[in-house]
Amino acid sequence: MKRPIPLTMTVSLLILIVSLLVAETLTVKVQSTSLRNTPKFYAPAVQSLSAGEKVEKISAQGGWIQVRTSGGVVGWVHSSAVEVPKFDLLASNKGLKTQASASEVALAGKGFNKQVEESYRAKHKDVSFAWVDRMLQIKIAAALVEEFMKKGKLGEFGGGQ
Amino acid sequence: MALVSAGFTAVLFLASCAAVQSGADILAGTGQISESDRQSIAKTSQAVSATFSQITEEQEYYIGRSVAALILAQYPAYDNAALNTYINTLGQAIVYSSDRPEIYAGYHFLVLDTEEVNALSAPGGFIFISKGLIRRCKNEEMLASILAHEVGHVCSKHGLQAIKKSRLVDAFRVIGTEAARRYGSEEVAQLTTAFEGALGDVFETLVVRGYDRKYEHEADDLAVKFDVAVGYAPKGLTDFLQTMIGDSTTASGKGWFKTHPSAEQRMDKVKSRIAALSSVPAEASVRTKRFEQSVTALK
Repeated sequence: MKRPIPLTMTVSLLILIVSLLVAETLTVKVQSTSLRNTPKFYAPAVQSLSAGEKVEKISAQGGWIQVRTSGGVVGWVHSSAVEVPKFDLLASNKGLKTQASASEVALAGKGFNKQVEESYRAKHKDVSFAWVDRMLQIKIAAALVEEFMKKGKLGEFGGGQ
Repeated sequence: MALVSAGFTAVLFLASCAAVQSGADILAGTGQISESDRQSIAKTSQAVSATFSQITEEQEYYIGRSVAALILAQYPAYDNAALNTYINTLGQAIVYSSDRPEIYAGYHFLVLDTEEVNALSAPGGFIFISKGLIRRCKNEEMLASILAHEVGHVCSKHGLQAIKKSRLVDAFRVIGTEAARRYGSEEVAQLTTAFEGALGDVFETLVVRGYDRKYEHEADDLAVKFDVAVGYAPKGLTDFLQTMIGDSTTASGKGWFKTHPSAEQRMDKVKSRIAALSSVPAEASVRTKRFEQSVTALK
C-alpha cells in the first residue's frame, strides 16, 4: 500500500533543496582582511573587510574563495579568514538559529574578550602589555613580502611547491 | 575499528547533550520547569561538550596576548627594528604557505634578548625566537625551519590544547546563552578566574613542561611541509637539530633542550619525512647572504 509522504518531510526536503540552490553566505572571522583581485596574498587589494562582514561565495580555488560583497564588489579571500557554514544535523530540528548560536559569529565579542583582559590586567599590574602592543604594530606590507620572496627565489619565483 | 567506535560514542554523546537541551525546552514549554531552570540546563549541556575547538579566533587572540605578556615578563624583548623586520618578513613568507594563514590579528614575530636557545609561540600568532637560537643558525633555511615549526604549533592550535577542560567548562557556562557582550561584575570575575587558569596552563606548557611529544613531532612535520611549500630546503631543520646533538654547554639544560624531545629522536623522524618527498627545494646562496647581513648585530 502506498503511503502519502508526510507534510513535514516534504517541507524539510523543500528547505534543503532551496538552501542548496541559494548562494552560500560566508562571514569574516578575522579582525580585518583584504578582498584581493587574484587568489594570492600579495595581489592588489580591491577593498578591506572587517570581522562580521558577510560575503557571498561564487567559486573556490585551492585555499581561496571568490566572493561578492553586499555592495557587489567581487574578489578573493583566503578560506581561513571566513567562517564557512556547516550543516549541523544535531541542530537541524531547531532551525538555523541554534545552528548559528555555536558559531564564531554568534560568539563574537563574548567569553575571553577585552573586558576580561582589562579585569586580568587590573589584578596583575606587574604584567606589562607594552611589547605585546608593539609586536602588533610590526606589520609587513604584502608587497614587501613579495619582494623578499622574489629576491630570495622563493614561492612562485623559485623553488616553492 | 577503535576509531569508528570512538566516533560513534562521540556522536551519541553529542546527541545526548542535544537531547537534554531539547528535553529541557519541552519541559519549560509545558510549565514543568521554570525558565531559569531551562536556561541553566541549556548552559550546562553546552558546557559539558566544551573543547578547545570551540574557542573562537577572537578568544584565541585574547588568550595569546596575555600569554605573550607573560613570556615577555620572563624574557626581555630585543629592541632591534632591522632584525625584527627581517624575522617578520621571513615569518610572513612562511605564513602565506601555511595551513592557516589568516588568524584574528595576524602573525607577529619578535626576537628575545636572551642567550638561551629558545623559540615559543603563544596562541593567536605571537611567535618568539631567542638571540641564542638565531646565533646557532648558519643560514636562512635553518631560521625558516624554526619559524615554520612555531607557525605549525599556532596552525594546529597546540597551545590551546594545553588548556584544561575545566577552564573551558567554567567559561562556557558563563558564555552560555547570555546575549550581552559586556558582562556584569560576577560574570567578569568568573571569566577572569577561568582566563587566569587557562593562561597558567598554556604558559606552563610552553615555558616549563613542554608540549606532548606528539605535538612536537607534528610541528616538525609541518615545518618540513611549509618549508617545501615556500621554497626552503627542509634540510634547514635537520641542520639545526644537528647543532643540538651532543651539546654540553650551559645552554643544554634550558629552553628548547628542556621543553622538546631529544634532538636525536626528532632528527630520525624529520629525516624519514624528508626522504619520503619526491623532490625538495635546494639552498640558495642569495638567501644565505641576506641572512648573514640581517643578523650581523648578533655576531
